[in-house]
Amino acid sequence: MNDLIIALIKVVFIWVWVLLIAVVMTWVERRGAAMIQDRPGPNRAGPFGLLQPLADGIKLFTKEDIIPAKAKKLLFILGPILFSLPAFSAYAVVPFGDKIVLGGKEIILQVADVNIGFLYIVALGSMAVYGIVVGGWASNNKYSILGGLRATAQLISYEVPWGLALLAIVLVYGTFSLREIALAQQGTFLGILPNWGVFKQPLGFILFIVAAYAEANRVPFDLPEAESEIVSGYHTEYGSMRLGVYLFGEYVNLCTLSALIVTFFFGAWHLPYINMASFLGPISYGIASFLVFFLKVSFFLWLFVWVRWTVPRFRYDQVMGLGWKALIPLGLLNLFLTALAIQLTA
Amino acid sequence: MAKPVVEKRYKLSEQVYLWELIKGMGLTWKHFIFNVKASFRPEPHTIPTCWQYPEDRRPIAPNFRGAHMLMLDEEGREKCVGCGMCAKICPANCITVENAKVPEGEEAKYAGKTYSKTFTIDWLRCIFCGFCEEVCPKGAMMLGPEYELARYTPEECLADKSMLLANFHKAKQEGKLRPPREPVPVVGAAAKPGEEKPAASADEKAVTSAAKPKVAVKAKPKAAE
Repeated sequence: MNDLIIALIKVVFIWVWVLLIAVVMTWVERRGAAMIQDRPGPNRAGPFGLLQPLADGIKLFTKEDIIPAKAKKLLFILGPILFSLPAFSAYAVVPFGDKIVLGGKEIILQVADVNIGFLYIVALGSMAVYGIVVGGWASNNKYSILGGLRATAQLISYEVPWGLALLAIVLVYGTFSLREIALAQQGTFLGILPNWGVFKQPLGFILFIVAAYAEANRVPFDLPEAESEIVSGYHTEYGSMRLGVYLFGEYVNLCTLSALIVTFFFGAWHLPYINMASFLGPISYGIASFLVFFLKVSFFLWLFVWVRWTVPRFRYDQVMGLGWKALIPLGLLNLFLTALAIQLTA
Repeated sequence: MAKPVVEKRYKLSEQVYLWELIKGMGLTWKHFIFNVKASFRPEPHTIPTCWQYPEDRRPIAPNFRGAHMLMLDEEGREKCVGCGMCAKICPANCITVENAKVPEGEEAKYAGKTYSKTFTIDWLRCIFCGFCEEVCPKGAMMLGPEYELARYTPEECLADKSMLLANFHKAKQEGKLRPPREPVPVVGAAAKPGEEKPAASADEKAVTSAAKPKVAVKAKPKAAE
């Protein structure tokens, strides 16, 4: 019973936290874009325009909810839900901190430490595309269905390098559990570097982050949306809060992917060269590990925004070419080199 | 003739794209940092390309044509004699002037022997061309610096005499009165007196001054300055 309550608290806490990050991200995206493009951005609502997401939310909720006459009603309603649910669910296996000791009880800061965390994440990552395809199909609009088809093709192409990059990590750490991978990144590597995945798998990191951008449908791989070619693609026909859920799900997705990047390649909650557990109390250590983790996550969230306003969108054939002709061979090479290095050093 | 297609050869570093990407991100970072620093400064105009409108306004041009003003001379008398030339010249037909003799005992209020009993400008019709200002023999009409003319109802867009005088007082108070516009040189001077005389005859005093209206327009506001 006690464990159940703790689990429930963890679920609610991380759910609210991720929602909060997604809300703030809408502001960061708009403000960051503005700053990069030499304009002020939304700066009227609250200090520095921080209340802008609230204003947007009120606007989206109070707008008329339109379902096109020729749309498939059930699927149309289901689309945004199918899109945002996997994004939230993927967070279940992400360790967002080490552990916290309350009243002699050790609480692991992770909703579920399953030993197949990897497979779970890969499975849910591919689930998200159903929301896009279903929404695009149900809209009964040529641009929407094109967006859905593009999303599918892109996901299939980029699941492969993404999976190959993950496989190399599994080879290095010898486990499928995300928590064990995070724990294994303490200390130093080769004497001078922090023992982070990025130093053991530099090529794997590049493959993973490129594939992550494609999975999240972010610029430069935002072909399913591509507002200048196919009129924002799968959510052309969506309005009011249904559109809001789509946009929101995208930010939750970003949050999940950033957390994964940090867990696999940037030492999760570990600070370089400093062992926080050695000088912090059990409760403050738990909080500190949580904060360090989200500091790193916030950097990668910002990187998503930064890249978005730097790189123009790829052409469709360029996206496919990059996926199949560059990333997959590189992924295989990376896997081979990793296996070779492990075989030689073991 | 079709342009010959030249296929661009990319260097290896460009083909890999990663280095080019990092260079591009360096550029956007520079802009980002500059603007973040600027947005923390307290004054409204910090980011050079953007004017934060209500707080921060662009300077208007020296001969800007905004809301109309009915001018007073240096003794505080209305210059307008109600001749109606502005109403005649107006291409949008938006000016209505009612002429009347200055009543007994109110001579101190008006510069001429006649005055405009009503003077209404329909700002919904006005195209702000400034002809009324150019044609006025007394220099009584001027297009001022005010440009926020949005109102809630059409009735509010009918500017009556009190509004036009208030515009003048406001501009004078804020020191925004500009010197009068140089008269436009008229090509074919022979046609000019014939054109102007019938129009000017609406006001008996204007007939005498019609011979040298430019001198009058030039001389008076200089004294007003």
